[in-house]
Amino acid sequence: MIKLNQINKIFSDKHQSFHCLKDLNLEVKQGEFTVIAGPSGSGKSTLLNIIGLLDKPSSGSYEFDGQNVAKLNNNQLADIRREKIGFVFQAYNLMPVLTALENTEMIMEFCNVDKKVRRQRAMETLEAVGLGEFKNRFPAQLSGGQQQRVAVARAIAAQPLLVVADEPTANLDSHSTESLLDLMQSLNQELGVTFLFSSHDPRVIDRAHRVVHLQDGQIVKDVCTNNNDQQVAV
Amino acid sequence: MIHKLALRNLLRNKRRSLLTSLIIVFAFSMMILFMGLSDGGHKAMIDIGVRMGLGHVIVQHPEYRDDPALSHLLDNPEQLKQQLIDTDKRLTPVARLRSDALIQAGRHGVALTISGVEPEIEAQVSAIADKKAIVQGQTLAAFANSTDLHRLSGIVIGETLAKNLEVRIGDTITLTVKPASGGDLARSAFEVAGIFKTGLHELDTFWAEVPIQDLQALLEVPNQVSQIALYTSAGSDNVAQLATALTAQFPTLDILPWQTAAPELYSAVTLDAAGMYLLMLIVYVVVAVGILNTVLMSTFRRQKEFSMMIALGARASTVSKVVLLEAIYLSAFSLTIGLALGLWGHHHFATQGLDFKEVFGTAMEAGGVLLPEKFYSTLEANKLSLSVLFVFVLTILVTLIPAIRAGHRSPVAASQES
Repeated sequence: MIKLNQINKIFSDKHQSFHCLKDLNLEVKQGEFTVIAGPSGSGKSTLLNIIGLLDKPSSGSYEFDGQNVAKLNNNQLADIRREKIGFVFQAYNLMPVLTALENTEMIMEFCNVDKKVRRQRAMETLEAVGLGEFKNRFPAQLSGGQQQRVAVARAIAAQPLLVVADEPTANLDSHSTESLLDLMQSLNQELGVTFLFSSHDPRVIDRAHRVVHLQDGQIVKDVCTNNNDQQVAV
Repeated sequence: MIHKLALRNLLRNKRRSLLTSLIIVFAFSMMILFMGLSDGGHKAMIDIGVRMGLGHVIVQHPEYRDDPALSHLLDNPEQLKQQLIDTDKRLTPVARLRSDALIQAGRHGVALTISGVEPEIEAQVSAIADKKAIVQGQTLAAFANSTDLHRLSGIVIGETLAKNLEVRIGDTITLTVKPASGGDLARSAFEVAGIFKTGLHELDTFWAEVPIQDLQALLEVPNQVSQIALYTSAGSDNVAQLATALTAQFPTLDILPWQTAAPELYSAVTLDAAGMYLLMLIVYVVVAVGILNTVLMSTFRRQKEFSMMIALGARASTVSKVVLLEAIYLSAFSLTIGLALGLWGHHHFATQGLDFKEVFGTAMEAGGVLLPEKFYSTLEANKLSLSVLFVFVLTILVTLIPAIRAGHRSPVAASQES
């Protein structure tokens, strides 16, 4: 589903430039539950931004779902993000003026999904993440863990091919982290949604099917684990 | 969803939105109020101006304007009046004969302008010697129609002139003029029929009116008049077109709209209207700055939200629409309240009037016209609609750049923690 070939990303200003990703090659298949691990500054977030089509590589080719996306314009990239990619951000990034249900519906509305259908699907997704009874609460009325669950619900409600999660557990306590990971793992197994995380949290890495270790913008280790067989109850 | 987002974002910072709204409401309602009073004032000034010995349109001999001598009079005024009525049935023509004269009573004498008028018609259109203006005695028309026997023809004079001449109703005064023949001075005695008060020094001190036939006889200009003043029931708005149309029909005559015939009045109205336009400009700037400030503050604080929306797949136009809608809702709400308040104020002043004498303690004069004690607000629907539309368009224009910028935020910012 994801094929990165010789990807480079260089950030530069007038005075200096920083080579963040160096000749990076990566392939991710449908249904994987993959973590990109590495210390701070290793390029995890940059790589995830490129994979999530939020940013463009300085050079190299990127094929997403069989389509070369390197030369698409901003609106075309937005269309792919909306239709095929779900995002979970470290800082939750919910719309503060929308309720949990409305936040969950938002992407589907951008996709022009029929109002009845999207309302029902959003409700079902919120129930699935265990927040059905909080549907009318605004983000400020929810805990950090609950907000991140709403963010997950928002990411998966539109039924994307890929969910990109950048340090999703960074702001959560251990109970919320375990609960969120259980949720994402079950969604991966039951719905076949591909999950791609960036994290240096060992609890996240332990749950992954595959761990791609990044250091100084290069993949230094790519390990498949036996977590595929692990059964998790939500 | 974008409507919900826009509305809730406005309510997100209630104090800021309310403050901006209040500024717009206040500025816009005041603008409507002043617009109505200003237009009402202009209308009153023009109405009074044209009734103070003027007219909506003046028809005169082509050389009379430069040299108002008795050799430059109009012949056969009745025939000309009929021709003018035939061109436009809404016209009321009034013939007038004017000349310099010396008025004497006892040992007092004053040089003034004597106006020969058709008393019956003049009473309907003029404010100089109509029933309201007469403070003692009666109008020329009433004097002529009265059953009392009068030795002499009547004359109406200004209140100050009456004081200066030390005359009262029923007293005899002598009018001395130089006749058209250029011979000896001609004199005639008149009985003071009425004393008028317009509040204008020039008229109250140096103006008198007598029946036109008497003045024609005295000046030896039978069947001749200085001018025919035209009053139109269509109002004062389209006078210039009327004058142009009449000029085309009567090319040998000098046909002047009141704007040309009374340039000082026209200047006063134009100057006041310019002041009003300046006020409108200030209101437009206040509204634009108010909206722009709110939008800028709001968008500046929500840059990450816009990035997040774009990251989640919203198109740039969707994000821009949210920002535009916020400004449109704020503007529409404020304009509606401002319009309602302004119209309420307009209704009050349109029915009750604004008592200038009560406010300023004295009557006011502008452009050679004594303004009425009360001004009544007048609003033109077109002007009002244009103002609302202009403010609305202005709202969209000032919001356009922040809205476009919001839609072009980088989605990468959404993934940054703060």
